[in-house]
Amino acid sequence: MPHTTRRTFLRATLAGAAVVAAPLPLRAQPKTFKIGVIHPVTGPLAEPGQACRLGAQMAADAVNAAGGIRSKGGLQLELVLGDTQTKPENGRVEAERVVNQGARMLMGSFDSGSTAAMVSVAQQKRVPFLVDIAAADPITANVAKSVKDGQQKVQYVYRNFPTGSSFGRKAVQYFTEMFKEAGVSPKRVVLMYCNDLFGQSQSRGFQAAHKAANPGWDIVEVIPWPEPPSDLSTEVSKAKAAKPDIIAPITRPASAQLLLPELRKQRLDIMGVVSPGSPGLYEAGQIAALKEDLEHVATCVPWANFKNPKTNAVAEDFRKRSGGKTFDTNSGYSYDGIFIIADALERAAKLDDPDAIVDAMRKTSYGGGLMQYGGPVVFNELGDNPNAITTMIQILGGKPVAVWPKAAAVQKFVFPRPKA
Amino acid sequence: MKWAGALAVLGLLALPLTLSSYALTIFIFIFFYAFLGQAWNIVGGYAGQLSAGHAAFVGIGGYTAAMLSIEHGVTPWIGMFAGAVLAGALGALIGYLGFRFGLRGFYFVLLTVAFAEVCRILVSNIDAVGGALGLYITFTGNPRHFQFQDQRAYYYIALALMLLATGIAALIERRRFGIYLRAIREDEMAAEAAGVDAFRYKMFAMIVSSSLTGLGGTFYAFYLFSLQPNTVFGIPLSVEIIIRPIIGGTGTLVGPILGSFILTPLGELSRHYLGQSGLHGAHLVAYGLLLIAVVLFLPNGAYPWLRARFRR
Repeated sequence: MPHTTRRTFLRATLAGAAVVAAPLPLRAQPKTFKIGVIHPVTGPLAEPGQACRLGAQMAADAVNAAGGIRSKGGLQLELVLGDTQTKPENGRVEAERVVNQGARMLMGSFDSGSTAAMVSVAQQKRVPFLVDIAAADPITANVAKSVKDGQQKVQYVYRNFPTGSSFGRKAVQYFTEMFKEAGVSPKRVVLMYCNDLFGQSQSRGFQAAHKAANPGWDIVEVIPWPEPPSDLSTEVSKAKAAKPDIIAPITRPASAQLLLPELRKQRLDIMGVVSPGSPGLYEAGQIAALKEDLEHVATCVPWANFKNPKTNAVAEDFRKRSGGKTFDTNSGYSYDGIFIIADALERAAKLDDPDAIVDAMRKTSYGGGLMQYGGPVVFNELGDNPNAITTMIQILGGKPVAVWPKAAAVQKFVFPRPKA
Repeated sequence: MKWAGALAVLGLLALPLTLSSYALTIFIFIFFYAFLGQAWNIVGGYAGQLSAGHAAFVGIGGYTAAMLSIEHGVTPWIGMFAGAVLAGALGALIGYLGFRFGLRGFYFVLLTVAFAEVCRILVSNIDAVGGALGLYITFTGNPRHFQFQDQRAYYYIALALMLLATGIAALIERRRFGIYLRAIREDEMAAEAAGVDAFRYKMFAMIVSSSLTGLGGTFYAFYLFSLQPNTVFGIPLSVEIIIRPIIGGTGTLVGPILGSFILTPLGELSRHYLGQSGLHGAHLVAYGLLLIAVVLFLPNGAYPWLRARFRR
């Protein structure tokens, strides 16, 4: 090992400090408009995070290929990418970094903790922020409240994603409508869920919405399991004892692989398995692993509008570039996010004033989204898009298909499921 | 040494005049983790009682201040001390159980981890404190709410926290108390034979350490604007807290600070330069390799190694 003198040590330290301290950006070139796009690209949520990043990149490429922001002389979009590693503190660090590198808008960031940390940067530095994915209601509601109370002047945070509470409301609504459409009246629904952040919030939202809507069916039993589970036979026999008409499970991909076969083994006599929200059930890997057990299972998820030919083209391209993944919630909302930003930039009076961009954001009424919406993308008084909704999909013939609401349905649902 | 320290502090006080907000953010996390590491160092370094559950104190402190602020409108400037008291109480409970029943080494480590996990699971299941979803804090930018429109305010608070913990550790180090703690660390039986009330001093170290860590929880909550049980009570945070003093040198004043000045920028630079390359996760591998290298080649930490070099 070479001899380290005090001098060489100091020199190395100073050099290191200079690297940290040096302003990273080469000052903003007026030729592009930089958007900070931050997702959990590594860490426990790396898979969806990478899908988000790819979706955003594909969208930016598409905007640029179509001539950029035309009203601003064909201004090109440039993404400044960030990675939260699923740690809230990195939401803050990365937002600061991309802004320092010249980003004039922010988009991200999948998990609600990092997103909340990014919100403070957006508000502090007046950088308009479009939340492409993150469900926790307070993220936008808190900022709206702060503005209403006069603590903050302008709301810089907007969201194009269903909020946590709307997930539950939509699920209850779709359950009720589908039962009616099918001409059956199941009474007893057993709610089962994975007891983690996702499962808790979904099940709570579902129960709250059920209470508020008071539909003609009851949640007769609520059964949580620790996630990831090693065995679900007790939980399923408990569910069976409640004599359910419907099993409504909120699963993660791993627990679905235990739950669905167990329902078959214990021969539950039910009309069907309808989930208020289970991500990833529709992935090719799940379908291959669960085969018949997954057939006719329905779940309520944010879903792309495959009636739109453009969606199919983008989804095909995405499949190629992602190594075979479905164009779904993550990639889809990030893809739409960039287009919504581009649309706002197109309409903004000027781009060097963040408040002008916010003005344009507020007046958004964008109909070109690839996801399934209940109407054009608009932002309400909280900064949320009330038309960002979920879709009921069903696995039919080994493929996930949108079945409800009617406007979104690609195929008629099969419910009650055929008796085996 | 004293002069070097004073100069360094003056330099840090003046830094925000020249730095970008991003660089300030990195310094804020350097100070914050140095602070947490220093707080841990009091019980983990000087007294040699390895707590691997210090995240629990961050969580308790943060949740207390956040709940008081959200539910009762109590300013976090007061809430942070309430949080510190509760964290200290939890520290006292863990310390009592561990030290009274003579849990040493791995057994004490397990006890602290178990308590942190119990806290995490409890909080995840109590709806009144947000359950697994956690708590979200409204950004107001109002100093009364421990929030600032200007990043520099956070910088100075984080710096103050680091200096506070270091001051307390320095005080302990110089007093008889510090000598007792080191005696306990080196050989508890011998220390007791010499008349040191090991139980009492270990308890005291634990309480000081956990209360200080509790203060940090408030900073975390009101700098990042949300608290999730998995993040603030989780094992990863406990590891983050411990790893800096270990890299820098446990049981030394400079260790936790040096460790934080090494690790935080390292994590940041590796993420920045390797993360952009499209090789997802390459930066984590690099970070891990560097950690292994430090542990292999500087088993006592960086500071004792540097000290030995300079003394020659």
